[in-house]
Amino acid sequence: MNVVFRFVVHQLRWLVHIPFFPHFFDSMLLTWAAVTRPSRLAAMTSLEKATKGEVRLAVHRFGGVEFRTDGGQQLGHVHGHGLLDVHVSRARARKLMAAGRVCPHHIFPNSGWVSFQLETPCDVPFALVLLKLAQERIDGRFPCARITGQY
Amino acid sequence: MKTPCSPKKNASLWLWPLGIVVGNIVTVLVFVGVEFLLGRFGSSSLNSPSAIPSFLLVPVCGGVAASFCWRKLNPSYLQIAFATFIMMILAIGGSMLAFGEGIICLIIAMPFFFVSQLTGALLGRVWFRMPPGPAQWCLLPVLAITATGEPITRTDRQGVVVDEIRIAAPPHKVWPELTSFPDIQTAPEYWLFRMGLPYPMSTTSGGDHVGADRQCIFSDNMIFEEKVVSCVPGRDLTFDITKLPQHPELIGHITPSRGQFLLRDNGDGTTTLVGSTWYALHVRPLWYFDWWTRKIFRAVHLRVMNDIRDRAERG
Repeated sequence: MNVVFRFVVHQLRWLVHIPFFPHFFDSMLLTWAAVTRPSRLAAMTSLEKATKGEVRLAVHRFGGVEFRTDGGQQLGHVHGHGLLDVHVSRARARKLMAAGRVCPHHIFPNSGWVSFQLETPCDVPFALVLLKLAQERIDGRFPCARITGQY
Repeated sequence: MKTPCSPKKNASLWLWPLGIVVGNIVTVLVFVGVEFLLGRFGSSSLNSPSAIPSFLLVPVCGGVAASFCWRKLNPSYLQIAFATFIMMILAIGGSMLAFGEGIICLIIAMPFFFVSQLTGALLGRVWFRMPPGPAQWCLLPVLAITATGEPITRTDRQGVVVDEIRIAAPPHKVWPELTSFPDIQTAPEYWLFRMGLPYPMSTTSGGDHVGADRQCIFSDNMIFEEKVVSCVPGRDLTFDITKLPQHPELIGHITPSRGQFLLRDNGDGTTTLVGSTWYALHVRPLWYFDWWTRKIFRAVHLRVMNDIRDRAERG
């Protein structure tokens, strides 16, 4: 699934200009995950529930669910195959990658963006940490008491 | 904060069956609408019951419509998958009752239909998360227009399936077994044949000459009328299929147009028998249904050709 995703993102990038195509492609990734890796969907649902009321959910322009601050700034987004992209600071990104917890972003490898593959609901706590770090990058404060309490 | 058992949520449970019904109604409406438009405005090659709307795009529309009904339930991905599965079962059952579709066709179409409906439903789950706006209202019309426009862009594509086997007998001994043969006694091996897909039983022939009539008789009383167009004894028997049986597993889905047996003398007392079938496939997406079509034709070929081999080798 990751191979298909990377191929489309890198080689067929022009498809994003076709209306609704990115969303259609993302829903195909979701379907593939539903058929082959339902635990990823469970993880994505858990992540949405864990952030409910604390961050705003929206549709990402390239497909997927986007996590936003109340001010409308993007913290990150999760693609249909469970790949969570989060925008943390560059320094944080380097540390996280050095620790081997995250991968470089599939489009912007040398930026503050990092990618984390959700596999099971057990991955949700770390995904929340990443969103917390993204929030810190924006304003140094994370509105989710549940998350800050845990970490 | 709402809990899963809050009265409001329980009161909304009727949205599940509503979404299932609405999703299937939209699927049928788009399907019938495309058929109607093709019948009235389609090109000559598509202006027939054979121009079946895409099994990718049409179910997606149904999935999106269902998801629109389910949006207030804030369903999880897996709940959506389960509800879509129920929706697909009802759609398949409805197709059998309302359109007289064959069970084997539906078994073949079912996985793809489910995946397509699920794609639409999951697309809707994400999409209808946004506050209502023009973009939300555009999604279903855009999909419906795409589903309608897709058949107009199709071109007729002839496919051919070719299989060959080696027979331990010279061509002059194989040839008489080709032109006509009695009932094939062996039980069908291919799993779709065992489930009810008609399989070849026998062939009758009006003679070994061009213009001779043939009949290829399948189980379930399916008879293909054929006419010989090329006949070189010991080498080539080619026939056009002139009349297809009116069978729900076949009508509108596929048109086999020509069959051929070629014999190649291997020079060592053995013969290579090559069997070919030419066909046009009318269901889309092509890559999915063509894969099934080739598997089925291969099973038909091998059932006939193995029987020819057995009889020729027995002498």
